Amino acid sequence: MSLVSGPGRAGTSSALPEELQLAIEPHVKYIQSLDTRKDELEYWLTEHLRLNGLYWGLTALHLLGRPDALPREETIDFVLSCQTEDGGFGAAPGHDAHLLYTVSAVQILATVDALHVLKERGKGGGRLAVGKYIAALQNRETGTFAGDEWGEEDTRFLYDALNALSLLHLLDLVDVNKAVDYIISCANFDGGYGVSPGAESHSGQIFTCLAALSIAGRLDVVNGDKLGRWLSERQVEAGGLNGRPEKLEDVCYSWWVASSLSMIGRLHWIDGGRLTEFILKCQDPKEGGLADRPGDMVDVFHTVFGIAGLSLLGFPGVEEVDPVYCMPKKVVERVLGAK
Amino acid sequence: MAPKASKPPKAQPKAPEPPKEYPSISSLHQDLYQSSRPFLTLAQTKGLSSLSPTEKSAYANSRFLETNVWKTWPSPQQKEFWAAVEKQNIPIPLPKPRDLGKDSRGQELGTYTVEEYAQYRKRERQLQGLRRESVRFRDRREKIPDGEVSEGAIEDEKNRRKLIGLLQGKRMGLYEGNPEWDDVVPIPQDDGEGALAQIAYTDEYAEAMGYLRAVMAAKEHSPRVLTLTEHIISINPAHYTVWLYRASTLFSLQSSLTEELEWVNEVALENQKNYQIWHHRQLLIDHLIPTISPEAVKSLEESERGFMTQMFEQDGKNYHVWSYRQYLCWKLDMFNDTELRSIEDLLRKDVRNNSAWSHRFFIVFSDPKYATQGSKATEYDSKIPEGLLEREIEFGKAATFEAPQNQSPWNYLRGVLRKGGRELASLESFAGEFVKIGEGEEEDVRSSHALDFLADVWAEKGENVKADKALGLLGGKYDRVRKNYWDWKRAGLKVGGLKVGS
Repeated sequence: MSLVSGPGRAGTSSALPEELQLAIEPHVKYIQSLDTRKDELEYWLTEHLRLNGLYWGLTALHLLGRPDALPREETIDFVLSCQTEDGGFGAAPGHDAHLLYTVSAVQILATVDALHVLKERGKGGGRLAVGKYIAALQNRETGTFAGDEWGEEDTRFLYDALNALSLLHLLDLVDVNKAVDYIISCANFDGGYGVSPGAESHSGQIFTCLAALSIAGRLDVVNGDKLGRWLSERQVEAGGLNGRPEKLEDVCYSWWVASSLSMIGRLHWIDGGRLTEFILKCQDPKEGGLADRPGDMVDVFHTVFGIAGLSLLGFPGVEEVDPVYCMPKKVVERVLGAK
Repeated sequence: MAPKASKPPKAQPKAPEPPKEYPSISSLHQDLYQSSRPFLTLAQTKGLSSLSPTEKSAYANSRFLETNVWKTWPSPQQKEFWAAVEKQNIPIPLPKPRDLGKDSRGQELGTYTVEEYAQYRKRERQLQGLRRESVRFRDRREKIPDGEVSEGAIEDEKNRRKLIGLLQGKRMGLYEGNPEWDDVVPIPQDDGEGALAQIAYTDEYAEAMGYLRAVMAAKEHSPRVLTLTEHIISINPAHYTVWLYRASTLFSLQSSLTEELEWVNEVALENQKNYQIWHHRQLLIDHLIPTISPEAVKSLEESERGFMTQMFEQDGKNYHVWSYRQYLCWKLDMFNDTELRSIEDLLRKDVRNNSAWSHRFFIVFSDPKYATQGSKATEYDSKIPEGLLEREIEFGKAATFEAPQNQSPWNYLRGVLRKGGRELASLESFAGEFVKIGEGEEEDVRSSHALDFLADVWAEKGENVKADKALGLLGGKYDRVRKNYWDWKRAGLKVGGLKVGS
């Protein structure tokens, strides 16, 4: 899936209609067209995000109710072609494995109901090989995870690990209690969480921490009122949400902030109507796709997180999303069993 | 006298026929072909039977020439034949012009002008010569052990390849044209049908990546790998694998890491959003520290701080830089006054920089010299000196006066009070300076954060009526977008015992 931005621009195609609609068909076409843009340099320069991009595009299509809009067999083939000998997945064929892509690979296979192909065609003996690759990245002393063998640590990677392992039913391979302790140590004085202990609170990192705690079944360690207060302060006058105090609003935080509020049962603390309006203004209703803000170039990253945000807000015509996995709720229930 | 009969006018010397213009080289060839066979053409157009006997004889001789049948005759007969050809002035018929083929851009060579074609042939001859030389160079080099080919010879070969590229009208790739890379066979992209090589403006990137794949496959860690990765990073600094391979090459070559840091500075300043670079930097520091003296560590602290200051001039909230800074604080023990002053400088420039506030909290309350080891940011720490708490409270207060509607110092003050185990109520009169909502007063709220703070103070003290009024104003007037949140807090007051944000 290409990460090339544009061609569309948000909110500029003629006058927006009085009643804002979600331009489902253009969005579907936009995502389908992404892989045909191989003659653009940006297509090749974003190769290191290819598998993430496929996950974003595929998830958006499922949420738009068009699960068949990408060819399933080709999708599976591409995912498998990114697997490395150690069981992990790289961003594209020939790239080194990394947790960021391994989780996307597992999420994609789960979404198209194809986790079983790991056993038939995966490297190193099926899902266990993937699980072992992930488990080896846990820092057994602190509980957190490195992104790859090079050791960079980030609460994102911790979440990615628990996300993928739970979908593979292999959480037992890691020390979940230690991972939970690590997240607790990342809580800040303002109620938020950062990339590591002491690092500034950031909505994206808060999402990863809360989602990891949800998977571990340990949301009880969160001060929900204090965190909810900080999260709800992210809504700005324009209706959108920002990631940190005094920063500009951005459609992707419609996901990171709203899903976090949803996980702690406080989504109603923000103004859903105004957030919906903001997200819809960020779409290009003709060419498809969503941008970070009205007037900017669309891309697949902001497209999926904008649509997922609308799903959380109960927007009609959008499939229900799971706030922990950012995958269709139906899919998560199928893989994990209904909660 | 009869006039002299005038002489017939002297024949003017015939003006030389202007050289015939040909629109293309193939039309010239066609013309030459036609004019080399006058009698054959004559027979074709007029019909053989209507030719005069002389013409018929010339036609027959032309045929003999064309078919070369005369070569089979005995020599006296050949002699006689050639005498006749000369007498009859018969040109030697040329073979039918062949198709000239296409040039590298796919254009038919036949459509070239005569002049262009001459140029083309000249170029081709030059190219052939250069290519022969180039092959000779490679042969020679294969036979000589490494490093013994003279620099001059390599330089000559580089220029030769540049010339070859120029003459071909298609620039040779940077690596294809450099003899130092001759031993590497690039591995092209294997990504479906992506015909990368045909895409003009990705040529440079695609070629470099092809060579990278090849050196990685061969696990080569050499100085030229540093040049190659630097080139790729200049086009695509987000390529994670390239950074990793560069790091492993640096370490295996034991290259100067301080030089590398300087280079990374430039790349970082040009690529604000890039995060791969920060992990690379951490790897460099991790490797560097054990190898240098304590004095060198101290000056590294200074140069790193200087570099981060430069980064913050472009974006004071760059999350990657701040994360790196915390890593560095632990690594180099930067819990000191210089660090604190540096943060104050940033806050003086922008008091709304939440990242700087967050870092200040980290520096002050994690300092291993006094803080309880492992104390969480959200916890009371009895080891924090009172004077230090006072200093931080005053610092936070001063900032709120500067910008009352700035949430960072308000959050900071709450955090400091919590660390020091103090009640919110200890700052009631301070917060009250921003808020007038008492009975009989003219309402004046200069900061919704102060109102929020007071609501919590009053709830803490059990003054629920006042707290409810404050929360009502927040939801109904000063922060309407979060009305549901304020309503929830109001509902909590009625149940009693609700504490938020302490």
